[in-house]
Amino acid sequence: MEYIARVEVSLKPGHSDPEGETTKNSLKELNYPVRDVRVSKVYLIRLEASSVEEAESLVDEMCRRLLANPVKDDYKFKVEEKP
Amino acid sequence: MKKEDVRVCILRVGGTNCDVETKRAFTELGVRAKVYHINQVLKQRVLQNSEALVIPGGFSYGDYVRAGAILAKGLLAKLGKDLERFIDEGKPVLGICNGFQVLVEAGLLPGFNGMGSHPEAALATNIPVGYRCRWVYLRHENRGNCVFTSKVSRGAVLKIPIAHAEGRFIFPRDKERRYLEKLYENDQLVFRYCDEDGEYAEGRYPINPNGSFHDIAGICSPTGTIFGLMPHPERAYYGWQLPDWTRMGSPPTYGDGRLIFESMVDYVVKSF
Amino acid sequence: MSRRLYVRRSLPFDLYEVKILEADNRDLLRISEEMGLALNLQEMRSVKEYFSKVGRNPTDVELQTIGQTWSEHCYHKTFKGTIETPEGKEVRSLLKTYIIKATKEINAPWCISVFEDNAGIVHFDGDYAIAAKVETHNHPSAIEPFGGAATGVGGVIRDVLGVWADPIACTDVLGFGPLDYDQKRLPPGVKHPKYIFRGVVAGIGHYGNNMGIPTVNGSIYFDESYTGNVVVYCGCVGILPVERYVKDAKPGDFIILAGGRTGRDGIHGVTFASLELTEESETVSRPAVQIANPIEEEKLKRAIITVRDMGLGTSITDLGGGGLSSAVGETAHKFGCGAYLELERVPLKYLGIAPWEIYISESQERMLLTVRERDLEKVLEVFRDEEVEATPIGRLTVDGRLRIKYQGYMVADLDVGFLFSPPQVRRAAEWVRPQLTEPRFPEPQDLTGDLLKILASPNVASKERVVRTYDHEVKGNTVLKPFCGKYDGPSDAAVLKPLDTSWRGLVISCGMNPRYGKIDPYWMAASAIDEAIRNNTAVGGRRISLLDNFVWGNPEKPDRLGSLLRACRACYKFAKGFGAPFISGKDSLYNESPLGPVTPTLLITAIGVIPDVRRTVSMDLKEPGSLLYLVGRTYPELGGSEYYKLRGLIGRSVPKVRVEEAAKTMKAVIRAIDSGYVKACHDLSEGGLGVAAAEMAFSGGLGLEINLSRVKVSSELSRSDYVLFSESNSRFLIEVPERFRDEFEALMEGSPFSLIGRVRAEDWFSIYGLDGSRVVDVSVRELRAAWKSTFGG
Repeated sequence: MEYIARVEVSLKPGHSDPEGETTKNSLKELNYPVRDVRVSKVYLIRLEASSVEEAESLVDEMCRRLLANPVKDDYKFKVEEKP
Repeated sequence: MKKEDVRVCILRVGGTNCDVETKRAFTELGVRAKVYHINQVLKQRVLQNSEALVIPGGFSYGDYVRAGAILAKGLLAKLGKDLERFIDEGKPVLGICNGFQVLVEAGLLPGFNGMGSHPEAALATNIPVGYRCRWVYLRHENRGNCVFTSKVSRGAVLKIPIAHAEGRFIFPRDKERRYLEKLYENDQLVFRYCDEDGEYAEGRYPINPNGSFHDIAGICSPTGTIFGLMPHPERAYYGWQLPDWTRMGSPPTYGDGRLIFESMVDYVVKSF
Repeated sequence: MSRRLYVRRSLPFDLYEVKILEADNRDLLRISEEMGLALNLQEMRSVKEYFSKVGRNPTDVELQTIGQTWSEHCYHKTFKGTIETPEGKEVRSLLKTYIIKATKEINAPWCISVFEDNAGIVHFDGDYAIAAKVETHNHPSAIEPFGGAATGVGGVIRDVLGVWADPIACTDVLGFGPLDYDQKRLPPGVKHPKYIFRGVVAGIGHYGNNMGIPTVNGSIYFDESYTGNVVVYCGCVGILPVERYVKDAKPGDFIILAGGRTGRDGIHGVTFASLELTEESETVSRPAVQIANPIEEEKLKRAIITVRDMGLGTSITDLGGGGLSSAVGETAHKFGCGAYLELERVPLKYLGIAPWEIYISESQERMLLTVRERDLEKVLEVFRDEEVEATPIGRLTVDGRLRIKYQGYMVADLDVGFLFSPPQVRRAAEWVRPQLTEPRFPEPQDLTGDLLKILASPNVASKERVVRTYDHEVKGNTVLKPFCGKYDGPSDAAVLKPLDTSWRGLVISCGMNPRYGKIDPYWMAASAIDEAIRNNTAVGGRRISLLDNFVWGNPEKPDRLGSLLRACRACYKFAKGFGAPFISGKDSLYNESPLGPVTPTLLITAIGVIPDVRRTVSMDLKEPGSLLYLVGRTYPELGGSEYYKLRGLIGRSVPKVRVEEAAKTMKAVIRAIDSGYVKACHDLSEGGLGVAAAEMAFSGGLGLEINLSRVKVSSELSRSDYVLFSESNSRFLIEVPERFRDEFEALMEGSPFSLIGRVRAEDWFSIYGLDGSRVVDVSVRELRAAWKSTFGG
């Protein structure tokens, strides 16, 4: 079976986000009433697995091994069967 | 062993770009340094036949995902066993800039719990944000554990350039204090950003050029044989590389960066 | 599209026959427009004539190939065409008549390959040569600043690889509209200068940093006209062993395409660069923007240098504008061969790309090599080891024809000779001297405020914020960096030490004065040449070669062409006068936007050598008590100056170049540097004596006292402000220790020079006017703060 996982890796709350901060300032310069910007990274992963559960456990492992650094990153994901 | 028999493996992958000048630094010291693509390291079992491993600067695999992350995981997956043995034998591993990012991502630095565990620190996006190339001052903090700075006296101030966008050394926020204490306990702290007179930056930009926690520029493993730093010692190897040598009339022969390579070679010669 | 002109062949892929034989003039223009060929009627008719002789209609692949090959970008029609001058004479080829002529007459022994390959090549040291190239990437950067600038850098690096040289340094000179430009005044389709500025700077850094090539020299210039026409010059310098400069392709050789995969990106980049930007450019041209992948190019570079060192290639060229069509065509043409291609062999990013798209795609990070059959496997192995895709896509042939097959069908069969003999363009040039007057205003008593304002003006102020985002240290060979001294002063040139085995240095500098061009493009060109050479001289560079890069408006408009002609005439005269040959150049024309044409801009890049890098001189003051000399003569030349600009004026007294005296002066400066008498040396440019002296002081963290009455001036110069801010060319400020006073003065004998001041230990900067009163009185710290205030440090 083929599954599609949407993984979002973002900075843990409390960690400073210089990219978000800079983007916020730019948007404010353009006169938007922006209070805060946080940047996260989204991965769209197509993978093979025999069940949703297996796909989820694989994706979770990917996050822990490569996609997120637990020191500063949180991650969340959604796995769906490929339509 | 004899200096001329020392074999230094300089590891590269796509995107590594400081290998040539890093090799030059070792060659100048009279050791046998060679640049190997990671595929060659695998095929030719290079690690078994080297006394030192260096991961030079650059943008390994484009620094996609996070700076150094892909090479770090690749290193563990492809060379894990060999690398573990290499480290257990006390052979030195040096990571410069991107190489430091790799060692941190691989969990080898600070390496409180030995090899192969998850990262205990991160090199995050600079504050202020952006790539920055400039000369900085480093204060040597190590009390003798680090084999890469044996030729640098404690408290000495070194002048070496940085060039990176992700060099802000951080610990998990809830463990900051505990981990910092560990660094001191284990004598793992090696370089902190400081001003010309050796006063710590205390976070002040641009003396601390990237917002690093506790002005940390470089740390070593508890054993002192794995060392990573953001500044580029190979760019401060010769006197003519210094940014202000023209003020001295003629350039001095060497810059401060040489001391790191010299210490490392000295350690290998004495230990193996 | 009008159906009757295009007939789809019944094949398993898209291939159209274009009914050119039945087409009348209107149809021809229509075809050119609908297919995006950017060919004019004369050219279309000559295409029709060719196919009439052949006796069949062309395919879309053939027409696109011709469109690309004959484009302004690839063929430089204007520079090679015939120009009717305002004096009623004819100039056949600006390139041959002025630029190449200077090089030929100078006949410099150090030139190895000029104007014939992807980059100019000059001798460097022993068995090593230097290759240099500067390109523009204006149009792509206007549409997508980050990608446009990044691929500009990637492209020029490939040009250097395209002569088998290993890239060792990049340069970049950028031109933007005012960063505080009123958003409301921007016409639709033109992006705000600030947005373009950020994107371009990030793109330049991204490519060079990722590839590990130091960006060592450049500048940033602001001009109202750059708002609609951003200017992005990207330069690259490489090194190669002379014997490895191999050009030996023969029929039978395999043609290898190496590097990134081919996609639809960048299709019609070339013809698009030959048209003016309009409001629609953004929507119409989006696909023309290429995606940059510097890591791919880094691997490609390693593989190519390995192939070179193993002596396995017979020729090499990059894929830039026009993609495969120009790389294959030019290779065949250059070696008097034909070429046979099997286009389905080209590795694609995705399916569904028509053959003509494959052939003209400008996907980045690709190079074309030819190799002998016996070396094919070895070469492919090198690429495999580096994890770079490389594919034989065809062979060179004996028959002088370009034949392309796709999935077994012949999709193009053209005569290479025809492809490279487009009809000569013939254009009229006129030039009317602009009606300008020299302003009159009372002389201010105190010039401190004006000096501080000029130091903070965008064209003079420190660009450190930007420059530090480029890695200028990677490779560890940068001897003189963009910033020098104790407090990050602006270096006049970059010095590199490219060989571990030699102390010989490479000196890179540039010159550009678009404001002078508003008065007279002739003196603008002369000044740019003088500035590039004197920047080189100031650090100890000599034996100089030049690169010329023109950014102009639509050459079909006679006034634009007239000013181009004037600039070219100056190029001949002054390059020859300085004995500095042009070795490479490029023109970017059609820089016009809804806001009007670009201010004609000529960038001159100078490549010099210094026999021993340890003799390099930086511009920061070094020793309290030293003497400060002004070398060169000061004239009342404030036309186009920063001082006039401060008052919203242009004036007409544009700085001139007295080339014989200038060349002599520069030789004398080099002798003084070689003799060790020079502690610091700085060229005088925007802001004249005032700015140069201030920069020297605050870079060294030392004070200075100057007496304007000691300055060697032409007789008609009688105002202190003019002496302080005149921008006369060929001048240097030189710091000499007291103990070398006699020797230095003896050496400078025969050149205009005078002792104008002294270096002070105190943090104070004073200038005394012609009448002895103090006209500038300020702390050095304040000068530095003003200089760094605009963009930050």
